[in-house]
Amino acid sequence: MRMMLAIIVCKALRFVGKIVGKGSSLPGKYALKLCPDVLRRVRLPEHIVAVTGSNGKTSTVEMIAAILRAAGKNVVYNAEGSNQIEGVTTLILTNCSLSGKMRGDVLLLESDERYARHSFRYFHPTHFVITNLYRDQLTRNGHPEWVYDAILPAIHPDTTLVLNADDPLVSCFAIDHEKVKWFGLDQCAVSTCEHHGVYDDGARCPVCKGKMDYSCYHYNHIGHYRCTKCGFHRQKTDFTATEVDLEKGTLTIDGETTIELAFRSIYNVYNILAAWSVCSLCGVERETMAAVINNYILKNGRMVRFRVGAHKGVLLTSKHENSVAYDTNLRYIRETKAPCTVLVIVDAISRKYFTGETSWLWDIDFNQLSCDHVEKVMLYGKYCNDLAVRFQYTNLPPEKILVGEEISEAVSRLQEQGHEDVYVVTCFSDRDKLLRMVEVEG
Amino acid sequence: MELKILHLYPELMSLYGEYANVAVLRRHLEDLGVSVTVTGVTFENEPDFSGADMIYMGAGTERSQKAVLADMPRYADGLKAAVEDGALLLFTGNAMEVIGKSVTDAAGKVHPALGLADFSTVETDRRTPHDVIAVSTLWEERAVGFMNKCSRTSGVTSPLFSSLPMGFGNDVEGGGEGYVSGNVFATHITGPVLVKNPAFTALLIRRLFARRGWELPAELPAYPYEAAAYAVTLKELTARLGG
Ligand SMILES: [Zn+2]
Repeated sequence: MRMMLAIIVCKALRFVGKIVGKGSSLPGKYALKLCPDVLRRVRLPEHIVAVTGSNGKTSTVEMIAAILRAAGKNVVYNAEGSNQIEGVTTLILTNCSLSGKMRGDVLLLESDERYARHSFRYFHPTHFVITNLYRDQLTRNGHPEWVYDAILPAIHPDTTLVLNADDPLVSCFAIDHEKVKWFGLDQCAVSTCEHHGVYDDGARCPVCKGKMDYSCYHYNHIGHYRCTKCGFHRQKTDFTATEVDLEKGTLTIDGETTIELAFRSIYNVYNILAAWSVCSLCGVERETMAAVINNYILKNGRMVRFRVGAHKGVLLTSKHENSVAYDTNLRYIRETKAPCTVLVIVDAISRKYFTGETSWLWDIDFNQLSCDHVEKVMLYGKYCNDLAVRFQYTNLPPEKILVGEEISEAVSRLQEQGHEDVYVVTCFSDRDKLLRMVEVEG
Repeated sequence: MELKILHLYPELMSLYGEYANVAVLRRHLEDLGVSVTVTGVTFENEPDFSGADMIYMGAGTERSQKAVLADMPRYADGLKAAVEDGALLLFTGNAMEVIGKSVTDAAGKVHPALGLADFSTVETDRRTPHDVIAVSTLWEERAVGFMNKCSRTSGVTSPLFSSLPMGFGNDVEGGGEGYVSGNVFATHITGPVLVKNPAFTALLIRRLFARRGWELPAELPAYPYEAAAYAVTLKELTARLGG
């Protein structure tokens, strides 16, 4: 009875909420008050797929949804990214009949690393994809090992873990867990012998802190590793990228299926591989997956084209407090070869909370901008001075650097001078401050 | 003029960009004509503390800090001798806990520490990430920064910061923070605390020069971006203090 009441209240509140434009967490909150264990009582679909990790969750979840739908499956997922327990409750109950049976073949959840254990208290995923653990929003998350410890209690023994074999900390989830499937990248054209980046979270073994030995790196601490002290090592993969050619834009999976990449980045390769693995485990055919992923374009607006004065501009949305997201975009700029100006904006560090914390700037590999075709680097926003200090510890010559607080001043300068390409690197919290002053291309 | 800096566990204990503290100190010293050698201390090498002018360690994960605590006894005597000889010691973030008597982890296990100072630390299963404004006992300007800790330290009788208008002190909100005694400095403020606080860097440089009997030039090099970054952060944080 309480369950039915919770479902009715949830559906009603969601209906009203949609009309008045309210978010999706409130209905779930009230439903949980009426029936705290409602998620244990309802009947969920055969497959429950959860995705977590520091970067690429949303992209991976969207790709999984597209593939499963192409395979004719009815997928229910939290597209709005409401991934705390209240939002998950709303999603499930609004898709339930009054008798408590959820519609759909697959429940797909993007799960916040920090809240997974609350969401999965009353039910557990059949498949839990963990993509990577990096330094991310340390002001809230503490550090990757802290996040690891937060995810660990959310893992049920019956859940099949789908893990990135190339990430040492992620691989630790397999310790004492029976059902594990691995995905990863063979040593190939993108791999390097040396580590790249300002810091190396793979330098030390996550199990014993002994020295790690890498036979190759794919990026940051992602690669093929073995601990020289305790022997902890990368596992053999079940789903494997056997060749990646970012210049040609191709990815070969398991030596048999070659995919054309719409977005030529190593990070995209891992998102695809994660989606491929879990969809395959849900019974989707290789051909179906390949057809969807071929030239799959993610419409998440991370890249926005615009014009300012005589310049063609590209805004590469990054995440403040996430050095890997920055490094990704800086690497993209470095690989373009035409003369350009790069504008970095740090004005509000977060749009959700206030902080003056700028230590993450020291984890970003800004040296990637130290190349001939980057002619000028403009550092703008409230924290332009912190950026300027950071750049004094890069290889970029001071005459290439321009510093100012007002974003409008950066825009006027670009309107008045030059015609080279412009790349803007900034966060969701700051990007509209620029975009409303330039001509955005549809 | 030559100075020798030992940087303890530069890979492992640099969780919030703490390597920048060594970088900024080195740059400022070089600007004063000092040639600086920085040597990293790791699990694998045999550190030589003789003739050290400065010893630095930054923050790490709780597990990394325990690995460090387990590794330190093999060279603790050498480190203590250097400190007695007047070498400056600066430990920031949870490295501060290492100079106390012990660290008790969240599971209740007690890990013996260096015992350079008479305090002890207990870890909890909750983190306290917080912006910080701190009132120093050694210099005039307020210090700014961020802390990201999951512990309480008790028994500090001589804190580096007498009070915290914003942030969590050693064992109480707003209370005394960090530790200072002679040439030993510690604070739980994480990240590039020296980059963020030019006055702290200047103090350490004065101490380093004094220890060697060198004279500082009458006019010191200016670092306008560092000064401006500090001013902006102080203004932003102060605005959040409210009435
Ligand atoms: Zn090991």
